[in-house]
Amino acid sequence: MSDNEMVFKPSPGFTIGVELELQILNPRDYNLARDAADLIGLLEKHRHPGEIKPEITESMVEINSSIHRNHDSVLGELRLVRDAMVRAAERLNLRIAGGGSHPFHKWSERRIYPTERFKRISNLYGYLAKQFTVFGQHVHIGCQNGDDALYLIHMLSRYVPHFIALSASSPFQQGQDTCYQSSRLNTVNAFPLSGQAPFVHSWDGFLEYFSKMRGFGIVESMKDFYWDIRPKPEYGTVEIRVFDTPLTVERAALLAAYAQSLARYLLTERPHVPSRDVYALYNYNRFQACRYGLEGRLVDAYTQRHIGLREDMLETLRLVERHAAEPGNGAALAQLAADVAAGVSDAGWLRETYQRCHSLNDVARLQSDLWMGHAATA
Amino acid sequence: MSALNYLPSFPLPPNPLALFGLLLLAGLIGGELVKRVLHLPRITGYVLMGMLLSGLGLLNGKLIDEAWIFVDIALGLVLFELGRRLDLRWLRRDPWLLATGIFESALSFGFIYFALIYFDVQPLYAAVAAAIGISTSPMVVMLVAHEQGAEGQVTERALHLVAMNSVIAFVLVTMLLSWIHHEYHASWITAVLHPAYLLVGSLILGYAASMLTLLLSRWLGKSAERHFVLLLALIVVTVGVARMLELSVLLALLSFGVMARNLDARHDLMSVDISRVGQMFFVVLFVVSGAKLQLAELVTGGTLALIFIVARFVGKSIGVLSLTHFSGVRAGSAGMLCIALTPMSVLALTMVQGTASLYPDFAARLATIVLSAALILELIGPLAVQFALKQAGEAREEQQ
Repeated sequence: MSDNEMVFKPSPGFTIGVELELQILNPRDYNLARDAADLIGLLEKHRHPGEIKPEITESMVEINSSIHRNHDSVLGELRLVRDAMVRAAERLNLRIAGGGSHPFHKWSERRIYPTERFKRISNLYGYLAKQFTVFGQHVHIGCQNGDDALYLIHMLSRYVPHFIALSASSPFQQGQDTCYQSSRLNTVNAFPLSGQAPFVHSWDGFLEYFSKMRGFGIVESMKDFYWDIRPKPEYGTVEIRVFDTPLTVERAALLAAYAQSLARYLLTERPHVPSRDVYALYNYNRFQACRYGLEGRLVDAYTQRHIGLREDMLETLRLVERHAAEPGNGAALAQLAADVAAGVSDAGWLRETYQRCHSLNDVARLQSDLWMGHAATA
Repeated sequence: MSALNYLPSFPLPPNPLALFGLLLLAGLIGGELVKRVLHLPRITGYVLMGMLLSGLGLLNGKLIDEAWIFVDIALGLVLFELGRRLDLRWLRRDPWLLATGIFESALSFGFIYFALIYFDVQPLYAAVAAAIGISTSPMVVMLVAHEQGAEGQVTERALHLVAMNSVIAFVLVTMLLSWIHHEYHASWITAVLHPAYLLVGSLILGYAASMLTLLLSRWLGKSAERHFVLLLALIVVTVGVARMLELSVLLALLSFGVMARNLDARHDLMSVDISRVGQMFFVVLFVVSGAKLQLAELVTGGTLALIFIVARFVGKSIGVLSLTHFSGVRAGSAGMLCIALTPMSVLALTMVQGTASLYPDFAARLATIVLSAALILELIGPLAVQFALKQAGEAREEQQ
């Protein structure tokens, strides 16, 4: 990567973009299939909005939206991409599902998607590469400059437990109930370059850190950092990566709208000076959200207050209300607030479905019905 | 009463259990040798071992009859599994796949028929041989796919094409029965009712088995272990009943599988893997089919066998190559599909088994045409499927 690519390209403030990693299932037992190449090949033959890309194993596919100003516009596009993908999948007799993990696949049966980069990752990380068959949503938020991006990263870090609890949809892994609402992030933790961005406040400071790491020969590009939130200079965005892929595009758009409204609030009102304490508490708060979801507890670094995640979220939603209304996210956040108040979550839906059907195959089947937009009937 | 009457009397009576165990052992060793020495699929080794045993006179017709029960169980398991894989909704969503199945069947029939006619085979024999030639061996394709851990568009599409061409071949052969009956001056009632009985009876049996399966699976609840036993029980029962009623094991079990999946609107039946227990029966199946092949037939069949094989391959390939593109699969997949449809088994002849026992003369003449082709395809078929699935990138990764 040339230094040029580390120049922070300014983007119009508070625009959003969404990436979703999706599961490709077979329609026989609803285990993961291996048809990413055929699916992507077939989609390339037809015009559709957004972009469709391979991921680390052949059972995954990623969709990227373009740049959007608000909830309705990103949702509109996500629906179009989903529909295009559903049509292609049906021709190949495949199912597509959301959710942060596949409930019962065996990681050892996965195969690395044959590109140079993925082969290199597989050689480096061994079995972790195949275990990385988990599915996340990334939300990009446009920033005017690199300094803003770093401020936003440090501010958003306090809200990482919100993002985790709101998106949690990976209660099952390898055929077992993990007891976690989001078990996916435990898989990410195993990578040596996961974690958080360094505590620097200017883009120059960040460049210094990056060239030092590159000088050590540890990384070649920003892609090698698996941080929860990282800057993406060539897009001019901050990328939040802790979300599990939700079970529907509707939920994915709600999460993007929440991140956008929060970013708008933080960058406009600048409520705090970044504090290292956020990172001292970071792993504890993050664990609480992964383990208990909306029922978790959080310690606020700025007030030293212990508070329930759900309560903190409802407070935050009120705090950002004005910033949600401006780009037209008011209705979306009202919907999200209602869900939080009612304790509705994708992880909850998955567990209830298992309780009702007693079979993880059925859970995966209904998961794909939900994603593909068919009415879920048990 | 002699002092030694607890000893067995000679010659020893054949014991089905000892026979089963020995065939299994022989197949295992043959498969392993072929895999290690020649790097060919194990299935080829099972078949070669069967040929060797029969060549040495160790596995004669009487013993083959004794072992047939295990062949039937294996057939039942494979055909049910294949039927269960057949997704009728897919054929609706991708009509090109359905069209490919029908077209390649029609072309392979046409090519074989006219090639045989050209080489002076009588039309009746040419037609029955061509109808048999439509079918790709479900056993070989299923088992190689399983052995290779293959998954993907080529694997799935090959299995769907196999299921379709097996059904089409069977229906055609059954309809040709009328012609055979007519040729042997049977009454027209026989000529009409026999095929009707086979088709309708086998379908009703398959339907009944699938309904019973779905009812019982709902009652048993979601338990992989119980559903596993349920399926084994009903598969064996259905094979047995089909034999008792002189119906078609192929059609009954295939339709049982198809209906167990496609009529399961409430998703009551779990997807359980029956191939692990099936494995031992499959080994015996291939040893026995090897034993039914005689090298001597290769000489008598000679040129005709080659003509049969080439015509069949060309017909299937034109059918697959001309339509697969429209299904939107990757370039190169169509070629691999053509190769994957190569296998044919001597067991395809069981489609005319009932009739053959009525008219032994007919069976003998048909055998000279088909058996030698079956012998060659039985040996190269597994290799062809393995090659196709590996080339398509759908086989399991080799352990490093």
